[in-house]
Amino acid sequence: MTEVYSIDPLIIKTPYEITYKHSYGKTSKFFTSLSSGKLMTTRCEHCKVTFLPPRADCPNCLRETKWVEISGKGTIHTFTTLYFSGEKFLKDLPFQLVYVDLEGVDTLFLTRLKTKDMKKVKVGMKIRMRISKELEWRSSDVWAEPYE
Amino acid sequence: MPRKVAAVAGGLTYFSKARKDKTQEELAAEAARMALFENDIDLAKDDIDGTIVSYFSDHFEDQLLFGSIIQDYLGFNPKPSVRIEGGGATGGLAVRDAYAHVASGLLDVAMVIGFEKMSEVNTAKGNEFIALASDTDWDFPIGGFYSGYYALMARRHMEEFGTTEEQMAMVAVKNRNNAQHNKFAQTNPKMNPFAMKDGGKITVDDVLKSPYVSYPLKRLDICLMSDGAAVLILASEEKAKKITDTPVWITGTGAGTDAMRAGDRPRTVAGVPMLPHEKKEWYKKLEYPGVHSFRAGRESARQAYKMANITNPLKQLDVIELHDAYTSSEIQTYEDLGLTRYGQGGKLVEEGVTAIDGDLPVNPSGGLIGTMHAVGGTGVMQAVEMLWQLQGVSGKFHGSDKTQVKNAERGLIHSHAGTGTYVTATIMER
Repeated sequence: MTEVYSIDPLIIKTPYEITYKHSYGKTSKFFTSLSSGKLMTTRCEHCKVTFLPPRADCPNCLRETKWVEISGKGTIHTFTTLYFSGEKFLKDLPFQLVYVDLEGVDTLFLTRLKTKDMKKVKVGMKIRMRISKELEWRSSDVWAEPYE
Repeated sequence: MPRKVAAVAGGLTYFSKARKDKTQEELAAEAARMALFENDIDLAKDDIDGTIVSYFSDHFEDQLLFGSIIQDYLGFNPKPSVRIEGGGATGGLAVRDAYAHVASGLLDVAMVIGFEKMSEVNTAKGNEFIALASDTDWDFPIGGFYSGYYALMARRHMEEFGTTEEQMAMVAVKNRNNAQHNKFAQTNPKMNPFAMKDGGKITVDDVLKSPYVSYPLKRLDICLMSDGAAVLILASEEKAKKITDTPVWITGTGAGTDAMRAGDRPRTVAGVPMLPHEKKEWYKKLEYPGVHSFRAGRESARQAYKMANITNPLKQLDVIELHDAYTSSEIQTYEDLGLTRYGQGGKLVEEGVTAIDGDLPVNPSGGLIGTMHAVGGTGVMQAVEMLWQLQGVSGKFHGSDKTQVKNAERGLIHSHAGTGTYVTATIMER
């Protein structure tokens, strides 16, 4: 039965659901390495640039990159505390997102910050990356936590 | 050589959180009717040679190839049409594409039809759809959405340059209060029958006391989500002179891009692409663009200024309509456009330079914060607003003379997609 929301104008409700079979392609190794507790990403040896998130192909020279392990230690470059979100994450509110500047990585990495005291967070604060024990094969499998 | 191109007519709908009374194509017709019949022009509908259709998302209506529905509904078959999409910059890219169609001789008279109907899903789902225009492998799955991304950038701008939440609030007050003299504005319940009921004027204190959505951005720092449409008609020089006594020429246009994941953007010391009036020593220590500035905005402005022979934008521009998705991004954009030095954007609004009675009014229409953000319609709305400003007829269309910038001869419109991935800047002159 079609659910009617209003008569004038006539408004009906139409649900929508879909499942994608999404491939991570050549960056799959980032996720599969997490199961052995390693943070792996890619580096262009030609341009001397390390990317996180990983890229299979260097955007500067279009050569193929190589996998390297990183320590996951770094600092907060900027942060925000969210009190509203997309529908999927409303249940998690409030939570914090940070750009982290990681050792051996040239890009900034966007991730969740998990901390007991959200008020203490500031730019320059030391963090380390943590890996989930129950992998969901999403970028949410890793996050930052304070590390003094 | 490209042909000279002029804007000759424009039309807008009333903007609203939810225009349940009309379908998307009916909204487009409402704006097209105004463009054809309420501007002082000698132009029949049949004189339109083709259309450029501007909308962002197929998700909001669960309909692919909507452009074809528009072309049929407005009765333009079998003439040429193309759909343009580029996130928040969809409208600016569509205006630029229409310019290219006319300048090249492909079309003599082109209609740009911009619209979005965002109300058929709830606000959180709408935010999620917009978030799907961020990286869905990396940034979306951790709970990322656009207010969060811009908040991260705003916080870094504060860290880098000392920008304050009060300065951001001043942008919201300026734009929201300008909108109170524009009958199309979603926040204007006195003049717009489809406006939100809790609209009206606001103060800096109201903004600062509004709840955080994503620190440092509060509810009143953030643009609207809208239903509505905007239509612009462009013509070649030969046609434009027959259509109207007051053509508004497009004298420059530029477009820039940057990485969808803002963290992937360079942080190059002294890496600012310079504008003619700037000095290298201003930025010799600045890491650029980092996540504090929009390199695509700077690049689009650089190209547009070069094409229009603008060497000092603050002096040579009379009015600007820019993409104020967030109060912070308006401040950041002042700097990208070279209206002030990088780091000084907050001071520009504080000093009143961009107020309606300031030296260079920015967003006299009310912008995205005060008037509308029906994504595919937004950049087209800016072009329509600029046309009316430069023709001196804003008062007639807005229902109040207070939005008209006196004796405006040259203006800039600026359209911007998610965290500065795509940006366009276009110069219009009477």
